[in-house]
Amino acid sequence: MEERCRPFTRRRFLGVTGVTGVALLAAGCGTTYAAPVPTGPPRSGGTLRVGVTGGGASDTLDPHTPATNPDIARVINLYEPLLNRDHDYQLQFLVAQSLTSSPDARTWTAVLRDGVKFHDGRPVTPADVVATFKRIMDPKDPKSGAAGLTMLAEVAPSGSRAVEFRLNSPNAGFDDLLGQYSLGIVPADFDVKRPIGTGPFKAGSFTVGQQSTFTRNEHYWRPGQPYLDELVLINFADDDARINALLSSQVDAIDQVPVALVDVLRSDPRIEVLTAETGTWLPFTMRVDRPPFDDVRVRQAMRLVVDREQMINQVLSGQGRLGNDLYAPFDPAYAKELPQRKQDVETARQLLAAAGHSTLDVELVTAPIQAGAVEAAQVFQQQAKAAGINVRIRKLDTTTFYGENYLSWDFAQDFWYTRNYLPQVASGTLPKAPYNETHWQDPEFVDLVTRAGSTVDPAARTDLLKQAQKIEYERGGLIVWGFVNQVDAHQKYVAGLVPDRTGISLSGYQFRNAWLSRDEGGVR
Amino acid sequence: MTRLILRRLLVSVLVLWVVSLLVFVATLLLPGDPARAILGQQATPERVAALQHQLHLDLPVWQRYLDWLGGLFTGDLGTSTSTQGPVTALLGDRISASLVLLVVAAVLATPVGLGLGTWSSIRRDRAADQVVSGISLVIAALPEFVIGVALVVLLSTTVFKIFPSVTITAPGEAVWDEPAQLVLPVLTLVLVVTPYITRMMRATMNEVLDSGYVEMARLKGVRERTVLVRHALPHAIGPVAQVVALQLAWLAGGVVVVEFLFRYPGIGQALIDAVGKRDVAVVQAITLLIAAVYIVVNLLADVVGILANPKLRTEAGR
Repeated sequence: MEERCRPFTRRRFLGVTGVTGVALLAAGCGTTYAAPVPTGPPRSGGTLRVGVTGGGASDTLDPHTPATNPDIARVINLYEPLLNRDHDYQLQFLVAQSLTSSPDARTWTAVLRDGVKFHDGRPVTPADVVATFKRIMDPKDPKSGAAGLTMLAEVAPSGSRAVEFRLNSPNAGFDDLLGQYSLGIVPADFDVKRPIGTGPFKAGSFTVGQQSTFTRNEHYWRPGQPYLDELVLINFADDDARINALLSSQVDAIDQVPVALVDVLRSDPRIEVLTAETGTWLPFTMRVDRPPFDDVRVRQAMRLVVDREQMINQVLSGQGRLGNDLYAPFDPAYAKELPQRKQDVETARQLLAAAGHSTLDVELVTAPIQAGAVEAAQVFQQQAKAAGINVRIRKLDTTTFYGENYLSWDFAQDFWYTRNYLPQVASGTLPKAPYNETHWQDPEFVDLVTRAGSTVDPAARTDLLKQAQKIEYERGGLIVWGFVNQVDAHQKYVAGLVPDRTGISLSGYQFRNAWLSRDEGGVR
Repeated sequence: MTRLILRRLLVSVLVLWVVSLLVFVATLLLPGDPARAILGQQATPERVAALQHQLHLDLPVWQRYLDWLGGLFTGDLGTSTSTQGPVTALLGDRISASLVLLVVAAVLATPVGLGLGTWSSIRRDRAADQVVSGISLVIAALPEFVIGVALVVLLSTTVFKIFPSVTITAPGEAVWDEPAQLVLPVLTLVLVVTPYITRMMRATMNEVLDSGYVEMARLKGVRERTVLVRHALPHAIGPVAQVVALQLAWLAGGVVVVEFLFRYPGIGQALIDAVGKRDVAVVQAITLLIAAVYIVVNLLADVVGILANPKLRTEAGR
């Protein structure tokens, strides 16, 4: 707050775009007083209007195929999976009240929570859960969640209140795999034209590519929630338009504030910036089966040329935490004990020389797949120069990046939200993983991970996972330079939004917690 | 005259067909396909194959083009790969929203531009003329997004908080149900277009007012007002109509940027989304529409030019 009237340097001015640069000059030194931060018990009522990044003509209300941010926000508020991750990244039970594994981790039994009803008042039955998973795993039209559940052989009702998940291979982390927002439970007779789930809000109107409205679900199982009468999610393609909409009070909250604009919004007394530490990461991916990265010395050299502090400062404006070429920082088995890797240009040069490269030419494929991705590529290009590595940047648009050559670029980038270690490995670092962008297939690693997957004893499993992480740290194909903070913003009269570790914006889009402390919130 | 218009219209159909072919090929040449674009990061091979089949993307290219062209003759603009519904349903409201923006901007910009240009020319080299010329030159030099952003800062978010900065329409509501939301996008377009019309009108009027027949009329003792309205203006209108037409045609394409900036739910926003998602049918429909506006507006300008010029008028009449 003391920064509010700090003089403008040229550099800072160039850091923000034209609009908001001027906005900072004017708003930063204005005479309006800070709105009070709401306290006390939640108040019911009102409409919350949220500006959400992205979306378009392929917008959907389908519970099992969310692709863009607005899709994800809709899915989270309409539907609920059996369990999911709470704001602290701990598993919490939703439609299920418990989930237990057989000693061999091949059969998992979910007991349904009493009193959970669909939007039309019907109670959730085991048959609904079975039908839901049949819809997701449909071989003719597999949904988003199908790729992560390949070990699932059969889902069957077990008595009147429980469902059994039978697996092909033992999996001690199956609870984690079920805790995904794209696995929402829907009735057996589900039709996307009548989108019914158990979530805190019911579907209202829906204009594809524009906005969707939701009303309070009076059958919701959490007492008192949701507090809002109505929720409106509004698509925004452009960052400036989204921020301007917040500044002109046309929306009450927005997701994804560009990091360069955080100071601008902080300087506005009406606005609260919501920053969350997450496990979201934006790695560089090197294909371990293609030259020059098939030589482990080259991979280690590439990792050693990165000045991670500088990366976080320049790419994320400081909104992030150091990475150590490992992912899943919130996993209890995260290998904290491995020393933090730092920039070491001398060692990098020696490694490259030993690998037979006096200089090295590489092409880095990048695209604006996530805020900061292209900037990270540019900073890497600068940093690598010091070690005689010449990085050519090939910038594509997002659709081309995810086109036919996705997962076969030699040296590229990707981004991932928070996951624990085993689910992340299953998604991205096993030979059979659907998104194995580094083509990683280290036999020792695969063996450790496979054993860990069937080990029910937590201590023994942690030990195996730490060994697996050590292998990735010593010879993996990922450069994990940092974990990105999630930065969102809302008007001060919006209460109940808290930092969320999952990497999903605005309290994980869980608007059941949100309430309005003033009546203005509901005014259109 | 009628023959000329008919011939031009016939050529226009040919031009539109070439445009459609070019756009189709260009969209195909863009790497990435609609199925992958829709699925984004979650494009596993199984899901891509399923969606491609669903969207008929597994059919040969020429067959997709012919299917689309055949549908065109029955008034069917094809199926959007993104919505998996008809293009007409996706674009219906958006076309009227964009048209409102265009028409309002044109209706405001044209008389203001003509008026300012004439006024400026009458007061040639006086203070008023200098001011109009200077300001119009500065504004003409600014790209539309700079003008838009400056207006938002000035009138919406920071200095004065009068008008909404983005357009948010509730479902079932039309954009014009809340006219305040139209102010900034319309004002931006008007500010972009008016300076050109003003400057062209001023230059043409200067020329006309210096000409022999105006001098003659003045010497005859015709009132200055009559000189202006009866003798000078009709001669200036022809060339200026061309500039006005060019500007209006520019508006049809220029809305893309302005709609993006103000989150205006028109065809510009749809076009950006459709290109990103490789949605060929939608890109086709919108580019053809913009091309058609171009052609029609230019044709109108030629007609006005002919009608305003007696020499051409008699030639075309033969």
